[in-house]
Amino acid sequence: MSIRRKLLVALLVALAATGLAASAATWFEVRRQAYELFDYHLEQMALSLGDQPLSVNVDFLPSVGHDFVIQAWNPDGMLAYISRNGAPLPLRQPGFDTVHVLGEDWRVFTLEQPDRILQVAAPASLRSGRATTMALRILIPILATIPLYGLLIWFIVGEGLRPLNRIAGAIRRRQPASLEPLPESRLPEEVAPMVSELNALLARLRDALEQQKRFTADAAHELRSPLTALQVQLDMVERARSPEDRHVALDALRAGMKRAARLVEQMLTMARLEPQRELKEITSVSLDELAAEVAGELEPLAEARRIELRLERLESARVHGDPQALHALIRNLLDNAIRYTPAGGAVRLSVHADDGHPMLVVEDSGPGIPPEERARVFDRFYRLPGSGAEGSGLGLAIVKQVADAHGAELALDDASHGSGLRVTVKW
Amino acid sequence: MRLLLVEDDVMIGAGVRAGLRQEGYVVDWVQDGAAAEAALLAEPAYALVLLDLGLPRKDGMALLESQRRRGNRVPVLVITARDAVADRVRGLDLGADDYLVKPFELNELAARIRAVLRRHAGRAAPVVEYGAFRLDPSARKVSYAGREVSVSAREFSVLQALLDRPGQPLSRAQLEERLYGWGEEIQSNSVEVHIHNLRRKLGERAIRTVRGVGYVIDGAEVPCRSDVSSL
Repeated sequence: MSIRRKLLVALLVALAATGLAASAATWFEVRRQAYELFDYHLEQMALSLGDQPLSVNVDFLPSVGHDFVIQAWNPDGMLAYISRNGAPLPLRQPGFDTVHVLGEDWRVFTLEQPDRILQVAAPASLRSGRATTMALRILIPILATIPLYGLLIWFIVGEGLRPLNRIAGAIRRRQPASLEPLPESRLPEEVAPMVSELNALLARLRDALEQQKRFTADAAHELRSPLTALQVQLDMVERARSPEDRHVALDALRAGMKRAARLVEQMLTMARLEPQRELKEITSVSLDELAAEVAGELEPLAEARRIELRLERLESARVHGDPQALHALIRNLLDNAIRYTPAGGAVRLSVHADDGHPMLVVEDSGPGIPPEERARVFDRFYRLPGSGAEGSGLGLAIVKQVADAHGAELALDDASHGSGLRVTVKW
Repeated sequence: MRLLLVEDDVMIGAGVRAGLRQEGYVVDWVQDGAAAEAALLAEPAYALVLLDLGLPRKDGMALLESQRRRGNRVPVLVITARDAVADRVRGLDLGADDYLVKPFELNELAARIRAVLRRHAGRAAPVVEYGAFRLDPSARKVSYAGREVSVSAREFSVLQALLDRPGQPLSRAQLEERLYGWGEEIQSNSVEVHIHNLRRKLGERAIRTVRGVGYVIDGAEVPCRSDVSSL
């Protein structure tokens, strides 16, 4: 239902209700006043009649119209006089009373005099009729103006809603893919916050889309290198003349496939992390257990590269976070350390709490990262010069993304002993 | 023919080097821009440079620009993942002779190398014909006086080098430079051995010795029947 129609109906109903209430109040008030006036008249008439002798002769009586009835009783209860034909109204105690006679309500005033009892009465319908007329006189103009009010409300509300229509029009006219902000000028203060929130949302969407676009472009570019390697390696298999040549070429091809697969896998991890700046399922994760699990997964890789993977210190530490994302963080840190450490080296992993802050530390005996490069290594697809360009360039970017999402701090330092790198993740 | 391969990706570099060696080229491979610069300074004899653009230490474009500014005329074939038209235009305008976008096939790379070398030598025809020689670089076939002669890869390279600028003698050292890459063991008399074998197959007068200078092929030498029949 449109706001306009809703307002129209609500306002008209309110108006009608107010009119009815006013009429009802008027009716009651007028009736009360009419009763008072009516009673006053009855009383005054009775008092003025009390000064006159009433004989059976009707001609003496003042002319009182059809409605009023006058009766006089002797003290012994005999009806001495009645101003109309028909059954008399019953005798009552002095004062006002209402009696029902022959299907009609009568208002009666009874005046007791030493020698007689006088009664003056009139139909009760007379006074309520008057009250109703008065009430209607108030109600009718109100009811009559309702259509006019309706028209007015329709136009005023429409005018009030114009800014909303303008915004709707602006949205309707834009290109489907456009994420440009909506115009924020000349907006009423009720609508302005909504539009500015909407613009903020559009800006966030634009950023996210831009980031996604850049990632896709980067990814397409980055895929060229492994694809080129694969193409060349495949050509070499084809050209191999001897079984030994063929064997060597196939080995190279296999390594190329592994590398391409790894890059794709890393891209997928990155893409999965990308849109959820807020984490999906946050639970309490045991950092030490997760670290031990990942270390177990990477043991074969470490062994193949003759790297000693050492769990140095595993103390119980819990963090809030997405277990899958944290798994990717630890795996990439360890994987990087193993890959860039020369054979015979060592990678040390430790989890402990420092002053209540859970900490994960990975240290290797590799070549380390020069301080001037440390800021850049977290960039997507950035590889250290001279690192052989074998890595996907995404490992540390993934680590950074997960750490940021978990509000954890990342620090790169020199290893405590030797030339290697130490990565600290601190919650 | 000695080529300089500048490629930071280990897998691509290894594959391309192996493939071009099969084609009979001598390939020196460096993995960053600074090393490429040093190699070009130290070894003036490269027939062609295969240049990747996204290089550590010195970008390929910058390297190309500085080499051209220094007056180095060595043919440069850019191999890169940057496929934008603007990049290609810029690369060519900075002095590249050709531009090959990754991924590529080895066969295409080899064909483009031959084309660049051919143009650089001022020839349009793919087959080198000089005097009684007919050299087909793509098929690596030699015929002499109308007869196909089977030669080894190194022997072919010796002929190719000598026919690159016919009439100009090349010293033993110059020939060695073109025949062997870094780290390759050179036997002290290997050039002489190749020349000897070629003369045995083609005839004594096919390659002339210029005393104190080196070897030369000149078109004036017409093979004698007896030379050819002695094959």
